[in-house]
Amino acid sequence: MQDHISRRQVLKHLGLIVAGLAAACTPVRVLVNAYPQTFDDDPELVDRVLRAFVAAVIPGAPADDPDLVRAFTDRDYPFAEFAAFFAADLTRRGARRFAEPAFERLTLEQRAAVVRDGLAADATTRKMYNGAVTLAQVAFYAGIYNAQQGCALIGFEGGYHWHPLSDITYPEPALFLAAALTPDGNAA
Amino acid sequence: MKTIYTDVLVIGTGFGAAAPALRLAQAGAKVVMIEKGPRVQTADFRQTSDPKYILKYLKGTPGDNLQLTYAEALGGGSGFYEMISLRAPSLAFQQLDADGRLLWPAGVDRRALDAYYDLAEQMLHVSQIPVEEIPKTGLVFAHLMKNLGYSVDRCRYAVRGCQGSGFCVTGCVYGAKQSLFLNYLPQAVSAGAEIETDLEALAIEPLAARWTIGAALRDIPFRYRVTARRRTGERELVTFVARVVILGGGTVGTAKLLLASRRYLPKLSEHVGRHIAYNGSVKVAALLPDGVPDADMFTGRTHPGMVSYQFLGSHGITVHAVKAMPLMLVSAAHLRLRDEPQADFWGSANVELMKQLRHRMIILDAFGLTPPGAALQVTAGDARVALPITAQLRAYHAETKRILESILVRNGCRIVEADFLDKGFTPQQGVHFSTAHQVGSCRMADSKEHGVVDASGAVFDYPGLYVSDGSAIPSSLAVNTSLTILANAERIAAGLIERYRLPHRSQAQAA
Repeated sequence: MQDHISRRQVLKHLGLIVAGLAAACTPVRVLVNAYPQTFDDDPELVDRVLRAFVAAVIPGAPADDPDLVRAFTDRDYPFAEFAAFFAADLTRRGARRFAEPAFERLTLEQRAAVVRDGLAADATTRKMYNGAVTLAQVAFYAGIYNAQQGCALIGFEGGYHWHPLSDITYPEPALFLAAALTPDGNAA
Repeated sequence: MKTIYTDVLVIGTGFGAAAPALRLAQAGAKVVMIEKGPRVQTADFRQTSDPKYILKYLKGTPGDNLQLTYAEALGGGSGFYEMISLRAPSLAFQQLDADGRLLWPAGVDRRALDAYYDLAEQMLHVSQIPVEEIPKTGLVFAHLMKNLGYSVDRCRYAVRGCQGSGFCVTGCVYGAKQSLFLNYLPQAVSAGAEIETDLEALAIEPLAARWTIGAALRDIPFRYRVTARRRTGERELVTFVARVVILGGGTVGTAKLLLASRRYLPKLSEHVGRHIAYNGSVKVAALLPDGVPDADMFTGRTHPGMVSYQFLGSHGITVHAVKAMPLMLVSAAHLRLRDEPQADFWGSANVELMKQLRHRMIILDAFGLTPPGAALQVTAGDARVALPITAQLRAYHAETKRILESILVRNGCRIVEADFLDKGFTPQQGVHFSTAHQVGSCRMADSKEHGVVDASGAVFDYPGLYVSDGSAIPSSLAVNTSLTILANAERIAAGLIERYRLPHRSQAQAA
């Protein structure tokens, strides 16, 4: 069984998507921008770049969280097919703009500038960066890989945390209530 | 291919299907229900934000300017709804179409439905939330409304022994929420009904048959053949042959099935798949000012407990607060503070905003009596929904948003801009709606010129074929739709018992 998708397959898949995006202004450029084979061959490189990306998108996210970038390569989500390509694109943009070949060595501000660059690019690239930013936020804030843990940064406890009524409501709820229009909650 | 003969085949197991299945089984008819989704029960549910779990049950229909969400599982949406159970206001039944005709057929209005609302509420143990159980978000919403002299009512829910876990929409692990697999469906099985899950109806064909008008059910020949296919395993085909077929697969499911069957049902109304109403939901988020107590987005029942009818008469909208789990919020919209327009929807500014989500953010949502203007388009089995944005709809959206923002701003809140996202996480452009309250794709009407079924749920020109689900509801309701769908299905079931001269429940029990 194939464990990873080849660069050729990624380009083919991107090509199919691009073909369907009539509004995409530079589909050809996306297709011809072949990315270095090393991103297919070195999953740790992809992991490092993606972690640096998530740190720029969600400053304060714990860098050692094992699930931090899992969603990007999770085969149940469509982004997995683009993860290596995306990591290569971040690296290429970083190198071009800041003359630093390793995206993960850029400062937080520099990485943020690269992300902004991708979000302002052509329609296809913008779609990929929008998807990547939102996927990072969804996976992290919702704690999608750990139902118990949730996301401490925003006070989300995940599931299975029982709260007494005193946590759920206020002690004198009637003080908050406005006049009711109905006797039973149903409008006439 | 296996062939099953039955008096009544009910397609679907949700709010529109459960009532006729139960009542007809209680009256002695042989009833078979088929459900496209998996069999679920309380023990299957999880309190999780894992999209793989959620997407196993919740499905979407994308589209132009409108996105629909619905559930595929035993009990339909009842496993995953927020258990809000409100009667549609009288105003909803008085809506007119563009030609000045009532959208609802003659004789179907709030007064006619009230007896069936009573029945549905008894079955689902619906009651108004006790004051002492209102979640903080609901109390803060009430406080904001009170500050402006507006009214707020305690909402009604189908629940017994709510634990306030906040995971209503992933299925109640406590069995407190009154999903249909806790009441209607097991009672239907006890009365003799059979339920098959993982079975998708593909097409309905009429059979050549003759019968006497007004004949009792058992004197009517088999009139329809329904082909269905297993969705798991060998994907075997199963044929059902029935005297009566009741469609209860929901606004999307029922319309898709009828459209797929049109070659066998050439006299179907041209209105199938059209006139979808969607409760025009408009949402506005904001940060609470200092001095207002904390709301809490993550604890207490999913719905915050309060609803305001303040603007129902004047603007045709109801207003409530929304509690959004991080998964739902972040996957639905990009957020940024309005007074910080240069801030990104990610990065430090967004993190600071997200840190305030739980305690300091409030989201108001309005449901409105928007006209039934959306239509379903099915291509090679894939459905899309299209909603033309008319000047009237644009004005509704702007005015409703203005009202919600006004409530918040006059209370000192800071508005949070939300760019709503499509399925690919790309921001939607212009006016856009999303809903789980879609109704009306096979609407009731007084004639075939205006709808798909008559007031009794009977499909025009196809005796013995009925629609009893949300697709028959011809208008937006301005409140959650489940109780009205269930009450209307109870009404249709009562009509079927009369029509087919079946004994009423008490007679059946005596027999």
